[in-house]
Amino acid sequence: MRRYKVAIVEPATVIAEGIAAILEGGAEGDIAGIVHSTTELEQLLRTTEVDVIIAAAALHRDLEACAAIEDVPVVGIVSSLVEDEVLRKFAATATIYTSGEELQRLVRRAVDAPAEHNYAESHELSERERDVLILVAKGYTNKEIASELNISPHTVISHRKNIVHKTGIRSVAGLTVYAVLNNLIDSEQL
Amino acid sequence: MNRRIAAPLSPEMNIFELIDKEPSVLSIFSRLDIRLPFGDMSIEDMCRRDGYSAELFMILCSMHTNPSYRPSMGDLSADMLPEVIGYLRASHHYYATYMLPHASAHLEEILEHADSRSRSVLRRFYDDYTHYIAKHFQEEEERIFAVVNNAAERYAADFSVIETPHTDIDDRTNDIASLITKSLPEAVPTSLRCAMLKDIYALRDDLRRHNNIETFLLKPLVELYLKSQA
Repeated sequence: MRRYKVAIVEPATVIAEGIAAILEGGAEGDIAGIVHSTTELEQLLRTTEVDVIIAAAALHRDLEACAAIEDVPVVGIVSSLVEDEVLRKFAATATIYTSGEELQRLVRRAVDAPAEHNYAESHELSERERDVLILVAKGYTNKEIASELNISPHTVISHRKNIVHKTGIRSVAGLTVYAVLNNLIDSEQL
Repeated sequence: MNRRIAAPLSPEMNIFELIDKEPSVLSIFSRLDIRLPFGDMSIEDMCRRDGYSAELFMILCSMHTNPSYRPSMGDLSADMLPEVIGYLRASHHYYATYMLPHASAHLEEILEHADSRSRSVLRRFYDDYTHYIAKHFQEEEERIFAVVNNAAERYAADFSVIETPHTDIDDRTNDIASLITKSLPEAVPTSLRCAMLKDIYALRDDLRRHNNIETFLLKPLVELYLKSQA
């Protein structure tokens, strides 16, 4: 599993350091930086690529105004009353009482989720995702899939993230079984 | 909020009280081969009786009941290593001889209700999964556990051997659960699916605890041991 880089945006030092310690303890992510405001976050994002941002949910207005975030998923840390409508804007939310293990899982899920996380409406694979899945099941590499479908390797990776999210299956072997069970591929083609 | 407050554990605690609060620790007793009954014995007394380190037993219980628990270096000593390796070996044996075959038996029951194509592809996936786990265990035993008798000297510092397989095994375990929940044909009875899922989730959780013990207890102990031998 790929390691991820995380930026923490949290005005409270104790909470920020606690989150960093938990994620480092999980041994899946590296801390790209701990900042206390979205202004500092913008500076960090100018020089450092991150896969996920963990931010105090109370900063939601500043986060919305922070263009540098682009499509990086943001996990909100709720330590005070925040409206549901605001919470839905985050890729995931945790509270200051969330266990360390659960926080690690939430962050990992946010990293692995597709770039646009308004996917809740459908878990059906799109036609393009099915094409990618079939080639994954046949053992093609990302580069080979990109060449076969005439798309960029980056787009292949994005489709693969969507496939993993929608099917709940991560391993290539598991995706192959999924493709056979859902009649996308014949087992004799493997 | 489903946050669980872990009961504080102490060596003076009565063993029955510990088991009553945290029944999941029973697997530690069987894997360390600790004899029952205990009467009103405390954890400390039991460890003294059976020749185990009470400190190590407490660390194992804490890691077992609280997945976020990490032992601090100050709590560890190199002489805990043989006991930890014994525990991990016993866990390997338990997975190989009980948990995996048990899940496999449930899978076979499920496959009786599946068409031949689904049967063949699922059986192959599960067989590959169990072989992968067995190979990983063997690799750990040969490359890491053997450090105590110097047989793995040249590999001892290389824990990268366990990191990727741990993630792969966790992914594949989850994949089995996803496939059984979402993709198996409707003809497979729900009761059989649930029996299999119960096994798979129990296995996944136990393997996660096992991986935590290897990463956050075994690894620092091996490092301490190698320093003490240098």
